[in-house]
Amino acid sequence: MNDVNEAALLHNYLLVGMVLFVIGMTGFLIRRNLIVMFLCVEMMLQGISLSLAAWGRYHNDWGGQMMILFIIAVASCEAAIALTLVLVVSRRTGNLDVAVWQDLREEGELPFVDRELPEETTERPQSPVLPPAGRQPDVDEDELMHRSHV
Amino acid sequence: MNGAPASWCFVLMGQQQAAAELLADSGRSGGANLATSPLLGAAVTGIAALILLLPRATRASRRVGAVMGTLSLLLLFGGVMVPLAGMSSQIVFWALAAVTIVSAVAAVATPSPIYTAIWFALSLLGTAGLLLYQGAQFLSVATVAVYAGAIVVTFLFVLMLAQPEGHEVYDRVSWGWYTKPMSAVVAALLVALLSFSLPAMPGPAARMGDRADQVLHPDHMARFGDTLFGKHLLSIEIAGALLLVALVGAIAIMIQAGHLRAERAEGQSDE
Amino acid sequence: MNDTIVILMILVPALPLAAAILAAVLGPRILRSRAHWPVVAAFAASFLCSLSLLVHAWRQPPGYERVESLWVWADIEGAYAQRHSPGGADQADSAGVMRHFTLDVTLRIDTLTGVMLATVTFISLLVAIYSVGYMRGDPGYWRFFAYIGLFVFSMTMLVSVSNFLLLFVFWEAVGVCSYLLIGFWYRKPAAAAAGTKAFLVNRIGDFGFMLGVFLIWTTYGTLNYHDTAAGWPSVSARAGTERPVFVDLGRAAAGEPGEVVGVLSVKRESVGGWRGGGVGLAICLLLLLGACGKSAQFPLHVWLPDAMEGPTPVSALIHAATMVTAGVYMIARCAPLFVASPDGLLVVAGVGTFTALLAASIALTQFDLKRVLAYSTISQLGYMFLGLGTGTLAGMSAGMFHLFTHAFFKALLFLGAGSVMHAMGNVIDMRRFGGLRRRLPHTYRTFLVGCLALAGIIPLSGFWSKDSVLFSVHARAHEMQVHWARRQAAEERVSSGTAGSLPAAGHAARGEVEAGSGMSDGELARAARLYAWMYYGALLTAFLTAFYAFRALFLTFFGDERLPGEAADHGHESPGVMVWPLAILAFFAACVGLAFDQSWLNGTHPFAEVLADTPSLSGAVARTETLGSFHFSVAVISTICAVAGALLASCFYLGDRRAAAWFQAVMDFRVLKSADDGARIARVGQQPWIQAIDRAARRVGLPWLTRLAGDLLIFTMLVITAPLLLIRFVSPYRLSFGKFFLDETYSLLVVRPLRGLAWLLDAVDRWLVDGLVDLVGQLPSRLGALLRTMQTGLVPFYAMAMILGGLIMLLTMNQQFSEQVMLYLHRLLGGMTP
Repeated sequence: MNDVNEAALLHNYLLVGMVLFVIGMTGFLIRRNLIVMFLCVEMMLQGISLSLAAWGRYHNDWGGQMMILFIIAVASCEAAIALTLVLVVSRRTGNLDVAVWQDLREEGELPFVDRELPEETTERPQSPVLPPAGRQPDVDEDELMHRSHV
Repeated sequence: MNGAPASWCFVLMGQQQAAAELLADSGRSGGANLATSPLLGAAVTGIAALILLLPRATRASRRVGAVMGTLSLLLLFGGVMVPLAGMSSQIVFWALAAVTIVSAVAAVATPSPIYTAIWFALSLLGTAGLLLYQGAQFLSVATVAVYAGAIVVTFLFVLMLAQPEGHEVYDRVSWGWYTKPMSAVVAALLVALLSFSLPAMPGPAARMGDRADQVLHPDHMARFGDTLFGKHLLSIEIAGALLLVALVGAIAIMIQAGHLRAERAEGQSDE
Repeated sequence: MNDTIVILMILVPALPLAAAILAAVLGPRILRSRAHWPVVAAFAASFLCSLSLLVHAWRQPPGYERVESLWVWADIEGAYAQRHSPGGADQADSAGVMRHFTLDVTLRIDTLTGVMLATVTFISLLVAIYSVGYMRGDPGYWRFFAYIGLFVFSMTMLVSVSNFLLLFVFWEAVGVCSYLLIGFWYRKPAAAAAGTKAFLVNRIGDFGFMLGVFLIWTTYGTLNYHDTAAGWPSVSARAGTERPVFVDLGRAAAGEPGEVVGVLSVKRESVGGWRGGGVGLAICLLLLLGACGKSAQFPLHVWLPDAMEGPTPVSALIHAATMVTAGVYMIARCAPLFVASPDGLLVVAGVGTFTALLAASIALTQFDLKRVLAYSTISQLGYMFLGLGTGTLAGMSAGMFHLFTHAFFKALLFLGAGSVMHAMGNVIDMRRFGGLRRRLPHTYRTFLVGCLALAGIIPLSGFWSKDSVLFSVHARAHEMQVHWARRQAAEERVSSGTAGSLPAAGHAARGEVEAGSGMSDGELARAARLYAWMYYGALLTAFLTAFYAFRALFLTFFGDERLPGEAADHGHESPGVMVWPLAILAFFAACVGLAFDQSWLNGTHPFAEVLADTPSLSGAVARTETLGSFHFSVAVISTICAVAGALLASCFYLGDRRAAAWFQAVMDFRVLKSADDGARIARVGQQPWIQAIDRAARRVGLPWLTRLAGDLLIFTMLVITAPLLLIRFVSPYRLSFGKFFLDETYSLLVVRPLRGLAWLLDAVDRWLVDGLVDLVGQLPSRLGALLRTMQTGLVPFYAMAMILGGLIMLLTMNQQFSEQVMLYLHRLLGGMTP
């Protein structure tokens, strides 16, 4: 019975870990924002961690958890370096788009260019704020520069 | 333990036997197994969900995608996963898993990168819970502290530095027309692959002994530290050195980048 | 004694070959203008050796042949399995036995070979001496002598080998030498084209020859002329023992067991003879095709006139005396094969006669002296074929005798023409010079002797040899008629029931059994008729020959002396080195007939008797016709024809030549030219009596009558003259002058389609084959271009590629999954059982 439960536990955890992994993989492949891509990598690592933990418990081996610890350590290093590089790279182009970097492309091939994207159709509803009559509304420069809604 | 899980397991093992019979005997209608299994349904709905949920060029309704995703999850949990010993453990596990998976999907699906980071943090909490459920207490705490606490925060810092406006044009689209379907299909295939391989895995190694003596020992931290600094001493030392190197490297890169930028600025101002 | 013979046999071809190599190697730098030394010396030595060989063979009993094997070319055990015993009882053991195939390089000596060798080497020697003077100053001097040496080697080997395959090898070799020598001045496009044409036309004949050799192989099982021991083991097995030399001394007994009887050996008669019927005829016709190619008979004669582009000594040596006689030699050598097929003989004779007539009629109008002589050569070769085609010993030896004498006087004529060319600055168009009698006295005298010999005026050699041919044809026709008549009489007697004594022999030939044997009544009658026609054709050709020979003589040497511009300062007689060969040849042309044909004197024919000792001619052929009978009537008729031709030529071309011009106009239908001349017709209308009629009609009031009459007349004349005008294009003169448009016909029928085919194949090669190759070559680059699109530079793309690869690996390596998928697919695709 216990063994069956262990087997069932392992089965489920492996599935969850795999689902997490593939979601991270999907995100890595789809998204163009560098930071989001890195987050998806971390997500994949989390999925792996779950699998490792499950195997460790199943086989009654500490090695699974050790591995997870090392994964955490390495992920941290990786995050540090990667984010530094991302910053440097983004300073060059001004944005975090990965599709800008196509210099490894073969000679003579056409680069990938975004086609014209329509603006987002529905505006975020913003309830208008009416100033009292006779007074100019306050215009917040910072607000204009940096939208608060993300 | 009640008999329902046992019957499930027998069904599971019966499936295995049936599969073995199928493979030996070629004349039978073996395809029905795959065609009507919940795995296929989960895979199909999962693919649809991913495609519909992932960011689109125009702001479109996510409702259908959400429904499909829910359906997929239900099929996955109900049909593919194996029930656990007790109902309570079953529910806890399902809740944690649901949190993890749903927040992961949301992290990937939302256009804004900041929301992504936050959803990811939530997913990490779910993962921590799952780890805790497994009995890896230290690691669950470490996940929350290091991952959610340090790494995700760092990500947020960088986001703010590099893209304070929030989500940009390129956050809404992908880099090709085939990327979304293909990734979704690949994801489903991988999950299906795993699901196929699972029934045939070997039993636990008996020589490893009782779990209560090892991984599920009450003195978890002591045992953990014991193994870590005993059997894996070299690795931990190296990991520490690696952290130092990474730190130094990051700083060095920034300094170098700063110099280069200064030079380029000078060069431009000279012209 | 034996060894001497072998050494002589080897020296005869080897010396010219060595000389050719010496001239080629040392000629350009060291010998230069002395490059003729080795060659002339070799030819002289070769001639002496040939003479001694001929004398040796002559002294032996009839049927003598000496065959010497130089080395083994091929020796294969178990080379082939015989299906059935070929041509006789000598291979009566079981079929399917694996047989031994050996091929030796063999040389032979018998009287036929001896005669040919002596002729070839003698003429070559004289021509070589002549060329010393003719080719002086030519930048390719050493090359000329090297080629000549090579040619004489090939020719002597051709007549010396004892094997059909080797014959073919040297057949081709002389063709190659001919090509090299015709195109000697290769920078002249006409010469290069003529060389190619000669080689290609020869090649067509060689194709037939090759097929004939194949057929001989399958029919007789061997390619040797002579007998060999069957299954002679390989040389290694019999090391140290001597190979037996078969010296055949006449009609020996039946073949011993284990012996392979040669195709042309005397013993073959006793082991089944030669195949007749369809196969025999096929062999004869195919060999004849080869002979036509080499000896320039219709329809493969077109190369010889163009071959005059080569230097004149080449024309004299190769295209008059030696190479073109290879075909005649071959037929004489294969006499038994031809005699076994009477239809084949008829074809040979027919081809010969037709060619003789055709070439003679073309030669009548040519203005290029060398071309006249070229057509004359073709015509005389036709005579030789006619003689060979009778199938009797008299005919065959007559053909060879004509070959022998023709070599002398034709070489003489050509060298004389060369002398004229040399004096006239390489101009040979007879319209541009004339009256050279006093300027070139020696040339004139020797040329006159040659013309007399060619025309066949008694007592020069041409008369004797031509008359031998005519005798033999006449006798053959007559004999066949007599035999047919006798058969009719015998049948009548049988049908009327009276058996009786044999009727009196009319023309009792020794070989009456052979004359019409194997032929049905109808065939016999037809053959007799045909031979009679050929006889008349030969007589007509004799007339034409005399005519054009003397025409050439008169045009060149008589009349007002004219020199072309190119003559400049060397319009004088040739140097001694050129004149002496002319003189020697003239002497022989005059005397050799009298010396070798004494049938008028004492009934003997030394030449024919010498030839009759050859194995080929000493068997069945020898029993056919009495030698040496002199037919007075034929001699008289032929002399009348020749003299008439000469007189006609002198009428036309001596003096003011108005008669020649008139005759040419007649032959050209020139009167028709004025038929459509409108002015002429109009002038007719101005005759006084027509005018009178016109006036009378107008007075009466019917002016339109005369006009109508006039119009009708004009219309009728135009209608009538329209086809006549067309006929002008094929007037006899035009046909003769245009060589019967054979070259143009070949060009239209053969050359143009081949060019079209070549263009098509070139297009196929360029577009299809090269296209395919290019396609294959482009595959990597296209594939690369395709793969290059994978290098997008986008990081997620690379990631996706990695993941896809890993996924495929996982899927295929995961056994359960792939098996499930396969089962599912099977079910999906209609339950196909795996």
